[in-house]
Amino acid sequence: MTLGLRMMLSLWGLAAAALWLWAARDLPWPTWPFVPQGQSLDQIRMGWGLMPRGVVALLAGAALGLSGAILQVVLRNPVADPTTLGISAGAQLALVLATVFAPGLLVKGQWPVAMAGGLAAAALVLGIGARRGFAPVAMVIAGMLVGLTASAIATAVTLAQGQYLLSLVIWNGGALVQQDWTGVRHLALLLGLGAMGAALLARPLRVLSIGADGAAGLGLNVTLVRLTAVGLAVVIAAGVSAELGLIAFVGLAAPALARAMGARGIGPLLALSPVLGALILSLSDGLVLAWAGTGGQTFLTGALTGLVGGPLLIWLLPRLRGSTPPGTEAGDGPAPRLARPGPWLAGLAVALVVAAGLLLWIGRVPGGWAILDRESLAAFLPLRLPRLVAAAGAGAALALAGTMLQRLTANPLASPEVLGVSGGAALGYAGTVFALAAPGALILGAGTAAGGALALAVVMAFTARRDMPPERVLLVGIAVSALASAVLSAMIAVGDARAWAILAWLSGSTGAVTLPVALILAGLALVVWMAGLALSRWLALLPLGPAIAGGLGLDPRRARVVLILLAGLATGAATLVTGPLSFVGLMAPHLARRMGLARPADQLTGAALIGAGLMLAADFGARMAGFPYELPLGLFASLIGAPWLIWLMTRRSP
Amino acid sequence: MVGSGAISPRPDRRAFLTAAGVLLAAGLPLRAHAAQPRLAAIDWAMMETAIALGRMPVAATELIRYRADIGQPVIPDAVTDLGLRGAPNFELLQLVRPSLILSSPYYTRFEPRLAEVAPVLSLPFFLPNEAPFAKAAAALHALAAALQDPAAGDRAAARADAALDRARDRLAFHADRPVALVEIGDARHLRAFGFDSLFGSTLARIGLTNAWTSATAFSFLAPVPLERLADMPQATLVIIGPVPPEARRGLARSVLWRALPQVAAGRVHRLPRINAFGGMPSALRLADALAKTLAEAA
Repeated sequence: MTLGLRMMLSLWGLAAAALWLWAARDLPWPTWPFVPQGQSLDQIRMGWGLMPRGVVALLAGAALGLSGAILQVVLRNPVADPTTLGISAGAQLALVLATVFAPGLLVKGQWPVAMAGGLAAAALVLGIGARRGFAPVAMVIAGMLVGLTASAIATAVTLAQGQYLLSLVIWNGGALVQQDWTGVRHLALLLGLGAMGAALLARPLRVLSIGADGAAGLGLNVTLVRLTAVGLAVVIAAGVSAELGLIAFVGLAAPALARAMGARGIGPLLALSPVLGALILSLSDGLVLAWAGTGGQTFLTGALTGLVGGPLLIWLLPRLRGSTPPGTEAGDGPAPRLARPGPWLAGLAVALVVAAGLLLWIGRVPGGWAILDRESLAAFLPLRLPRLVAAAGAGAALALAGTMLQRLTANPLASPEVLGVSGGAALGYAGTVFALAAPGALILGAGTAAGGALALAVVMAFTARRDMPPERVLLVGIAVSALASAVLSAMIAVGDARAWAILAWLSGSTGAVTLPVALILAGLALVVWMAGLALSRWLALLPLGPAIAGGLGLDPRRARVVLILLAGLATGAATLVTGPLSFVGLMAPHLARRMGLARPADQLTGAALIGAGLMLAADFGARMAGFPYELPLGLFASLIGAPWLIWLMTRRSP
Repeated sequence: MVGSGAISPRPDRRAFLTAAGVLLAAGLPLRAHAAQPRLAAIDWAMMETAIALGRMPVAATELIRYRADIGQPVIPDAVTDLGLRGAPNFELLQLVRPSLILSSPYYTRFEPRLAEVAPVLSLPFFLPNEAPFAKAAAALHALAAALQDPAAGDRAAARADAALDRARDRLAFHADRPVALVEIGDARHLRAFGFDSLFGSTLARIGLTNAWTSATAFSFLAPVPLERLADMPQATLVIIGPVPPEARRGLARSVLWRALPQVAAGRVHRLPRINAFGGMPSALRLADALAKTLAEAA
């Protein structure tokens, strides 16, 4: 530790302490003995409110910093933190399910339920990771997808319940308010255990840092060390989120700052990160306290760290360099190959048209099903056609984006959802809803598109860098998505009718689509498809790796920029209609490959047709299952996609 | 906003025979005459306003949740459920053949599609920094005027005024003690209703003072730390709706909660769940419940 570093840390500590004292300036200190009886109300506010709150900020910050540092070391990924592994989303889903279906479980507090949910999500991610040797990029993508699925289901259940669950909103925002010392006791125990575990793991982790092969050569059980380390980090993070709610970015920021301050090596990093985490959270909470003290609106501390973390993440992105060991991701191995794919593609197209026609003619009415006669059809057509066209167009666009991304990155888990465009679009939508009391469809669309475009611009700025390997682009996208979800939960934490509107959109609905919008979307899917066909040589060469592709005369950087831009446009347009999540972009390219459509042009066409069909099916299911309640389209597509995803990811890669 | 020609539904068309047959089988009210306008409510506040006028809509959104949570006024089983407020079922809406759709600015994004089915009446209830009670009262007249029955509006307004005056008289004894209206979020937070909420502006109408004078964000402020209640030691604390199970245990052992002056002095009252985003009937329910609860406790 240099002198400057020490100075800076003490300055931060002083600032945090000053903010806390400012919040406490009017409150008398409690008198001895330290029991509530005989104390004035203000003494109780001090001794059982503000004092434990200050300690909790330190403890929780330290725990999150430690958890983030362990994760970043073991996953060798500077943007890994508890949220990227799906832990917090899992805890959130468990809380939602318990609140809605079994409130009795919560009588003992939220702690056990949230802990169970976080651990279950992490177990799933670890299970997937185990199949892939805990390869870092696979783990992060798996975590992101599991997290997205969990929060999609949580959102849908909240919506289907039709009830605004204030306690969940507060939990999402991460509040540090305390009323006694139980939180302090829980977190102190957690941090103590975590610190002991980290001390024991420091040596094996240092051995592991020379690389998995080298470490195994030295007799280290690589899998066991990785599993133990990730497991420890998960328990710490899940414990904090069970006690306080979601507190974003502290686990990300603390190790990053520690590294920027010159913590070299694993020991110093593990030691410095908790200190920094404690300072970051105390400082944030001090700001929240000071702001509330001046009569301003109450803010949730976790929401504030989310807002502060955003710029930090953007600042970190250029530092994403090749710290991931290359070559750890493998494809699905040889897929069957059709000699003459033409008839198959034609068959798919015909099936799609027939299905769309059927869906136009049949539907549910109160009391049963009905096949429309010609004149009823004429009356219903203006209602049904736009959503069918929009669903098919969105499905095709997502499938095309997914095919391009999977070929570009040679990563079977690359999916449009992790590109960050959807997250940006969601932010744009939320921002518009909050800026204007009653925005019309057109302004909402423009705001959403602007948000998506901004996120795409950020991703593109990094894609255009010469030395950026494609899987890093996915990490950039994941970072942008994480930022978006943190800011979104801060907005939803306000908890009024606008938050409700955002939740509804997040789950996806084709109900409000007009025919012109649907036709524009379908047209865009067509344009992207033709562009993809024109670029099919690139798509054929890119999976061979940048060296071979470059040797064959391909400019990898230009190919990357063009393909990401196309995929981003297609994803953004589809997001406007279906909401941010569907998995169609992940499934359709795989299904096309499994069918034997191996050549890029065939795979693109087949994936687009399959994607359109999947989305039509999802739309039909979403409208019919809970009639007359139209379930969110995004949720229904996810229900089809999630089991597929789990199956895909738990298969051992060859 | 009247939908344009090509797709405007005409009730007597043979085209709807298939669907209409099924509707009849489901016992939907097709017997209503053209004289009685068929109302479809997308917004709950508008639905309550229509009910206050004595015009039960033929269809409304999210009735399952409304019946379970709010319950009053009672919605007959014959009213068709149009699905979620955030994603109303447009096909079903068309089948119901409304002659007027009741909406609010929350649903501006659907309005073009709604207008294709039937004329839309969209009235504002909740605007930032404006008291909704006056808007709920004005909506009675506005909707009555749109239904070409202004007398119904006058009658409903007079009934409401009488009920509110009664509540004000019963609560006169409480006029010098402020009332804090809250919902409990979790064991550490609550939601406070300010002057620009329906509840807060109703308090003013029945002669009570709202203890929550700080800023709000769009009707109510949430989440507010519990300890802010210590800033209003004189207030009577009124909890609207049930306390979540996870909060009950936390509150019971919370040192701060038990030390709060309102709690220590037993000035805590519970009301049933009332629609915070409702119309005049919800305002009346609040006034009535307050009058009963506070007067009984006095």
